[in-house]
Amino acid sequence: MSDNEKIVEISMHCRGGQTCITASQLLAEMAFEEGFKDIIAIPIIGAERRGAPIQAFTKVSKSRKIKTYDSVVNPDYIFMFDISLLYIPRIKNSIKEGVTLIVNSPDPIDTSDLPNNIKIFLVDATGICIKRDFMHSSGAILNIPMLGAFGKVTGYYNLKTMEKVIKKEFGEKRLEKNMSVAKDAYESVREM
Amino acid sequence: MTEVQNDFIQKRESIIIKGNVAAAYAAKSARVQVISAYPITPQTTVVEKLSEFVDNGLMPGTQYIKMESEHSVFAAVVGASKAGTRTFTATSGQGIFYAHEMIHWAAGARLPIVVSIASRGPAPPWNIWADFTDVISQRDTGWMNCFCSEHQEIYDEILMSYKVCEDHDILLPKFVSYGGFILSHTSKPVILEDQDLVDKFLPPLPSEEGWPHIWMDPKRPMMFGNLIMPSSFYYEFRLKIHDANMRAKEKIKKVAKEFEKIFGRNYGNGLIQEYEMDNANVGVIIYGDLALQMEQAVEDLRGEGYKVGMVKLRHFRPFPTENLIEAAKKVKLLGVIDRATAFGSQTGGPVSCEVKAALHETKGTATVLPIINGLGGREVTLEQQKDQLLKLVKYNETGELPKDMIHGTLWDGLLEIE
Repeated sequence: MSDNEKIVEISMHCRGGQTCITASQLLAEMAFEEGFKDIIAIPIIGAERRGAPIQAFTKVSKSRKIKTYDSVVNPDYIFMFDISLLYIPRIKNSIKEGVTLIVNSPDPIDTSDLPNNIKIFLVDATGICIKRDFMHSSGAILNIPMLGAFGKVTGYYNLKTMEKVIKKEFGEKRLEKNMSVAKDAYESVREM
Repeated sequence: MTEVQNDFIQKRESIIIKGNVAAAYAAKSARVQVISAYPITPQTTVVEKLSEFVDNGLMPGTQYIKMESEHSVFAAVVGASKAGTRTFTATSGQGIFYAHEMIHWAAGARLPIVVSIASRGPAPPWNIWADFTDVISQRDTGWMNCFCSEHQEIYDEILMSYKVCEDHDILLPKFVSYGGFILSHTSKPVILEDQDLVDKFLPPLPSEEGWPHIWMDPKRPMMFGNLIMPSSFYYEFRLKIHDANMRAKEKIKKVAKEFEKIFGRNYGNGLIQEYEMDNANVGVIIYGDLALQMEQAVEDLRGEGYKVGMVKLRHFRPFPTENLIEAAKKVKLLGVIDRATAFGSQTGGPVSCEVKAALHETKGTATVLPIINGLGGREVTLEQQKDQLLKLVKYNETGELPKDMIHGTLWDGLLEIE
């Protein structure tokens, strides 16, 4: 099934404070802004705290109504905000053949335990945030660069759409800084 | 018109919001005049969003009252409604239980209050996830109660509910409920309707007119809720609450039709919504968020050639007995799926009990198989729902009951304990 007909399912892994809950919502908004027919952002809510593994999902479709609320178990794309999560057995085992990983890492990752038939894209989101001073009280605000990388990899939305949605959600105040990290990631994401 | 009032008028657009935010926008669109608030997960963001609206001057004339508990929250809307205003609040789980006394009071006084409920499992153990036992436990208070399965439906249903509740022939309060976190905290596109159009469908209340039976006016003092002797009208008032509930069925249907005419969105006949029930052998009755996902399961299995269908139960009170009897005549076997409990009852599930009672003494209707799933937010996947349908198909074809039936009910999705 082509991307046009199916429901594309995205799973995001981060640690509390690394902002993947917001990322799942922003991704949905950007896709919708680009004319996707239906979207849903699903955060897994429990007892969140800084540093604990957090998961969020987004489902997007160009042509179909999305009727499900369940977790994504066979994602088309996985966002890995924190490389240390990749080696938690539960998360590692969820990586199946055919999936595309967007990984926050400056360097190639150890793939010895992962299936062969997967695509991996690397973006140094943390490095970009530090360089641009795009930080909050406990670390880098990773969602914008991760979404910049995803936009480039999939072509689902471009920087202009990102700017529109970020402006709508967060206003003018930090728009320039948001866009600088988005652009850095958009331009530097590379396939491993 | 002032500048602030101009802002209040919205343009018709689809925005991506959480279910809770959809509830808040609905209260704003309905031009509610009094909101009382106390936070409780997973409802909190409903009243948070409303406080933002009021603080930003987007709801001119609306009073926002912070209370110290849910009991007081309901007392406040009861008081405000007695004064003839359109009132709104939201709560969940333990909050409903704490407010139970005032919940009876609102229905007894026949006040058209609308409250959104982000349902969660009753404690203990402490639980904040989807489970409709909280709102269904208010079954006998006289409140109407409906379930939403989608974000847009939350917005739409709140508008429809005010129209039904405030009708002078009805005058009852109503819960508009949806699964905690599953709808309250996920985001989907929602169309916020043009204020002019909403005003046409649900006109703002004329101020100081009050309800026909109860109002507050220092020039015409009256007593509320005083003691009346058993020989007086208490008994008759109770009958009237039941009678209003029963008559509300026709009103709900009428309002759903009118809503569709103006806004173009269909919610079945308002009480139930059938999906693929014609020429089905096996069907399910289901409510809340799982009803939307079940539509996908039915669609998928239809694609594989199985003759399955479903009925989405929109209203639990008033209970659409007549419609369910008709739907049950279309199939041989009917699974009734509860995400709630009625401990010690015939089936353990509140809706399956009611469906069994409704079909009793009606010849030629389906056999009922009660199913319980998803308690306390336990995830129910699309695959699991397809499997439920296949179990029903198998039972219908072979007469073989699913394994693991407990006291005559299929408790689906239990953990396997060694």
